[in-house]
Amino acid sequence: MSEPWLDLAIAGASFLAGLIGALIGLGGGVIITPMLVLGFDVDIRYAMGAALASVIATSSGAGAAYLRNGISNMRIGLFLCVATTIGAVAGAMLATVLDADTLSIIFGGALLITVGLSLGKKSGEAKLEIPSDPLAVKLRLPGTMPVGELRKAYPVLNVVPGFLVMFVAGILSGLLGIGSGSFKVVAMDQLMKIPFKVTTATSSFMIGVTAAASVGVYLKRGYLDPALVAPVALGVLAGAFLGAKLLPIAPVKVLRIIFLTAVSFVSVQMILQGFHISL
Amino acid sequence: MKDEQIQTSLARLMIGGVVVSATIILVGLVWFVAAHSSLKLGDHIFAGEPKYFENPVSMISRALDKGALGERRSIVMIGVMLLLLTPLARVAFAAFGFALQKDRLYTVISLVVLGVLIVSFFW
Repeated sequence: MSEPWLDLAIAGASFLAGLIGALIGLGGGVIITPMLVLGFDVDIRYAMGAALASVIATSSGAGAAYLRNGISNMRIGLFLCVATTIGAVAGAMLATVLDADTLSIIFGGALLITVGLSLGKKSGEAKLEIPSDPLAVKLRLPGTMPVGELRKAYPVLNVVPGFLVMFVAGILSGLLGIGSGSFKVVAMDQLMKIPFKVTTATSSFMIGVTAAASVGVYLKRGYLDPALVAPVALGVLAGAFLGAKLLPIAPVKVLRIIFLTAVSFVSVQMILQGFHISL
Repeated sequence: MKDEQIQTSLARLMIGGVVVSATIILVGLVWFVAAHSSLKLGDHIFAGEPKYFENPVSMISRALDKGALGERRSIVMIGVMLLLLTPLARVAFAAFGFALQKDRLYTVISLVVLGVLIVSFFW
């Protein structure tokens, strides 16, 4: 394929990745990297660099929308970003010493876990009346969220375990060039018992900041190929934008089942590729 | 400044950063594709990128250099750098907002995050 057509094909694929990602609630990063590696034979390190740039773009767009609604909690976000950014730098450093095969295997494994996490049920109605972790109160993490016309206060629990899981989420983000939004949501939703609405909004604010922490290392190591970053970032951004618009009218349940099944196959494929096994 | 005001301004900053950088990337991409079609995309052999992509200043000078036709890619990189700086600006602005609120704890927390980001960029 000649260059302009290849560019267009990659932009088109990235558009689809962003669209699907927005519809089934996965970031573009986890979908676009396997797409580039398996579909376009791109080196996984270039793919991760491009994916990471697209993650920053979509996170800024989505995060901004949530900030306006007054749902996301900036204090929780910034506090946990201490853990995710330090983790991300560590993860990015680790990525530079691992070879492409090992990265491929780890990526496949993390992708499988991500699918599992997004299939797992949400923790249901948030319990707003349970008391907060004393440390959370000290850090002034508990906030309020809009419920109808009013704003309701919600508690924050298990600050230390949540912080530690965020550190791991950061490492994964830096290591694999993903936003690791699913891991962030689990830490806040399941562990810290923050209401799901606040969790998703706050995590989309955090994803961009986390990704920015590892991208400096990627840049220095030459993982950002401008010719690849451009079509990927633009494609994912446009796709995610359309996906967010379609979300209210799309048959999300059916799409989720179809694409999560597809993503599971893709993760197995990534692991096999790492081991040089072809089916 | 109240929390709500900080959040609204932050939202504007984030959208603005994305729109501006995406536009630059698009211009760079179109120019790059139009200018030549010989340079390959990052393929299956990892080679790393040229050294001047490490440094914003050398990137900009390459982008404007008439001699280096192949370096239209630098325009894309400037867009990418801007995109990457959006989260930095986001955190810096949060620190500023908290400082105005005289919220010492969260000013410090924001500055710690900002510090990690800056170190990761310029280390």
